Amino acid sequence: MTITGAGTADWFDVKGTVPTPKNAKRLKDGTIGLITGLFLLVALLVLGIVVPLLSPFEVEISIDTPFLPPSGTYWFGTDGLGRDVFLRVFSAVYLDLGVALIGVLIPFCLGTIVGIGLAVSRSKTLNAVAGSIIDGINAFPLLVLAIALIALLGPGLQSVVVALSVTNWARYARLARTRALVVKQQGYIEATQTLGYSKPRTLFKHLVPNVSSETTAYALSDLILVILLIAGLSFLGLGAQPPTPEWGAMISDGRPNFQVAWWPVIFPGLALCWAGVSLSFIAEGLTRRERDVKS
Amino acid sequence: MSVNAMASESSDVLVEIRDLVIGIQRTRKDRLLIVESANFDIRRAEILGLVGESGSGKTMVCRSLIGTLKRRSASIFAGTIKFDGMDLAKLEERQWRSVRGSRIGYVPQSALTGANPVMTVGKQLGEAIRRNRKRKEKDVRRRVMELLELVHIRRPEVVYDQYPHQLSGGMRQRVMIAAAITQDPDIVVADEPTTGLDVTVQAEIMKLLKEIRSELKMSVILVSHDLALIDEVCDRLVVMHAGTCVEVGSVSAVARTPLHPYTIALNRSRIDISTPGAPLITIKGNPPAVGEWPAGCRFSDRCDFVQQDCTVGRNPVLVEVRPNHWSACLHAERLGGTSE
Amino acid sequence: MSDALIEVRDVSVTFGSGSRAVRAVRQVSLHIEKGEAVGIVGESGSGKSTLARVLAGLQRPNSGEVRFAGESIYQRGKAYRGENRRLVQMVFQDPYGSLNPRITALSAVSEAVRVHGVGSRKDAIAKSLELLGRMGISERDAGKKPRQLSGGQRQRVSVARALSAQPSVLLADEPTSAIDQSAQAQLLNLFRGLLDGGLSIALVSHDLGVIRYLTQRVYVMKDGEFVESGLTVEVFDNPQQEYTKQLIASIPGRELHKALS
Repeated sequence: MTITGAGTADWFDVKGTVPTPKNAKRLKDGTIGLITGLFLLVALLVLGIVVPLLSPFEVEISIDTPFLPPSGTYWFGTDGLGRDVFLRVFSAVYLDLGVALIGVLIPFCLGTIVGIGLAVSRSKTLNAVAGSIIDGINAFPLLVLAIALIALLGPGLQSVVVALSVTNWARYARLARTRALVVKQQGYIEATQTLGYSKPRTLFKHLVPNVSSETTAYALSDLILVILLIAGLSFLGLGAQPPTPEWGAMISDGRPNFQVAWWPVIFPGLALCWAGVSLSFIAEGLTRRERDVKS
Repeated sequence: MSVNAMASESSDVLVEIRDLVIGIQRTRKDRLLIVESANFDIRRAEILGLVGESGSGKTMVCRSLIGTLKRRSASIFAGTIKFDGMDLAKLEERQWRSVRGSRIGYVPQSALTGANPVMTVGKQLGEAIRRNRKRKEKDVRRRVMELLELVHIRRPEVVYDQYPHQLSGGMRQRVMIAAAITQDPDIVVADEPTTGLDVTVQAEIMKLLKEIRSELKMSVILVSHDLALIDEVCDRLVVMHAGTCVEVGSVSAVARTPLHPYTIALNRSRIDISTPGAPLITIKGNPPAVGEWPAGCRFSDRCDFVQQDCTVGRNPVLVEVRPNHWSACLHAERLGGTSE
Repeated sequence: MSDALIEVRDVSVTFGSGSRAVRAVRQVSLHIEKGEAVGIVGESGSGKSTLARVLAGLQRPNSGEVRFAGESIYQRGKAYRGENRRLVQMVFQDPYGSLNPRITALSAVSEAVRVHGVGSRKDAIAKSLELLGRMGISERDAGKKPRQLSGGQRQRVSVARALSAQPSVLLADEPTSAIDQSAQAQLLNLFRGLLDGGLSIALVSHDLGVIRYLTQRVYVMKDGEFVESGLTVEVFDNPQQEYTKQLIASIPGRELHKALS
């Protein structure tokens, strides 16, 4: 056996130990995605404030001839009622994102609390009853259940939020419960018992953070879904009512005349994509970071 | 040792691993090296032990032998693995198919994840047998039974129709060994095959590996972090530390006169069953992490015998200090008398 | 009654009920004296981990009694009341799950230190660093999260956390099974130092080498029962039961040791 060491020589002389270039690491740990996502989101939010403030036009009132194509005056053209599409698209930012945020936050909080509570509780009856309610709700597709509820409550954004809260919490509860049951078995939770930590300390410092990290990750991807859902419900006429500027409703308004004028449909659609893409960048970035914490 | 013996030994060499460099290509310019200098031979019908702490690169070396580095997004950057006129280091995935399984068998770390949970033992082994050539259904079944008996599974006709989860850990690992030897390979790679198994089961599995070596004349590579285990079952061993082979030699030679401070330290840190209570001499510090290897010898900052020239320049390469006993220590000659 | 620190009498633990019932621990009795290292050795499924959890106050036995310093620990409500809770601590098997992944080694230990009475944050941190230092965890490593530490380091952090309660008994469930040999030696040396300092240790393991190295007395457990017990040296040198003989014969490296000595 002869050993030359030749193979190793050229590696070793050049590199010593291999440095990790910052950008490669960042791409891997999600920092770049996170920054891109945040930049896109902030840009959208800023436009949502600035455009309505600076625009010379009115959101809900006709200002010119209908279906004017995009031009120097009307950047995104005008819609069927002669309103400025540019202004309307960006006026809808806070409504669309805000309703979605509330529509996610309520079920997120409710579900996480219920899920952890069930995992911690020793009552078998409670777990059986709540478990079957959760499974029952989850058995239906979210959209179908939401439409049914809105049909009961009457159309409108408030109904959408209520419907989302009533249906979506079950998904979070199931996730939180499963996760909490796993975390509960971990040595660090058992150790809190032998160390004599108080129940609240164990719960809030050790159990909840390790459960909510999971539900938070889900909430972020859920937010994208809910934005689309709200737009979808509004498109069906169940959500935002005219003349409120809302992307789904705007697309619905413009749809019959799409052959003549594409701009009242395409621009709200693009805004919807913008919101979705920026959030998915953020979600992906955060998930990667979380993976880093765990592995 | 006579010249003749040397010559016959070298003709027994089955696999020749030289200057093997394995790592992960992270970006176009950035490579993270995991194994930087692997150098050893695998001889015909021997059990070769591969010892090292976690992160020493032993698993990566194994993967390079069965061509599954890609699955861990790692690849071979340099070096050769000569086996039967081929260089395994340069094999394409298409070519691997005729080597993996049929020439080099593999026993995974965990028998639970290694087996397909929804296929019976008989079906899985049968599939492995049929893989390369067409065979009659009856012949396949006979061969599976033969294999199950070979790995000492009692009542093979029952086990044939069972699913992996119905078997105990030891039985499952026996099935995995049977799967590894279905195609009569020249080499069986066993990566920590008894992790998580009980000592009594471990002893049985080791006995089985010995039988495979002596009766089927296959070479076995046994990866483990347990030096005691390696000492007991292996003929020769390779000690790895921080991506480098630091000592290669016969088990008896390495046990009697270890020629690398790391091996000496490992020996001292292990529990001596015959004199309980003697303090264990631990190795200073922690093993260097991948990508944070120090200059010079990678063991230098944990070494009790460190000299000035140990901490500069390249990582020392293996040198044949005594016949058939290699060490990568610059001062191996001086260590000669410091064993036990 | 002897002055045993922990005394277990006829303890049984059954999981499930009816035809599916699994009797994990059957009518087991043992005692642990002050400053003594006791080993419980057995293979997977022998019930040794369940027994450790019973001792730690984490698993209420179906029958039998566990006494600590003369007082029954499983009374109404929770196990180990008052001061006694702090005096019996446990190190868990899996070094990956025994530390909260979201907090650093230092905060894990200093949290325990603060809960057990060291007042100010500054004092708690100093005390924690000292404990971690004794366990061979440098100040730099103390600021790391569990994922950045090796298996051996995590186990030593767990020990430091357990010691912050100033226990008189340390229960260790397979503390060395998932770590490298050199890390194992480090941990065992630390345990030896703690024994010299007067701590009692109950070591649960399938590794006879570890048991032999550390303990004075040993209980051999199989299928929920003790098949043999006695002084470790005697049990190892002159095993009475077939099962014990088989276990000892399976220890790797013995042939070599014999050859060398």
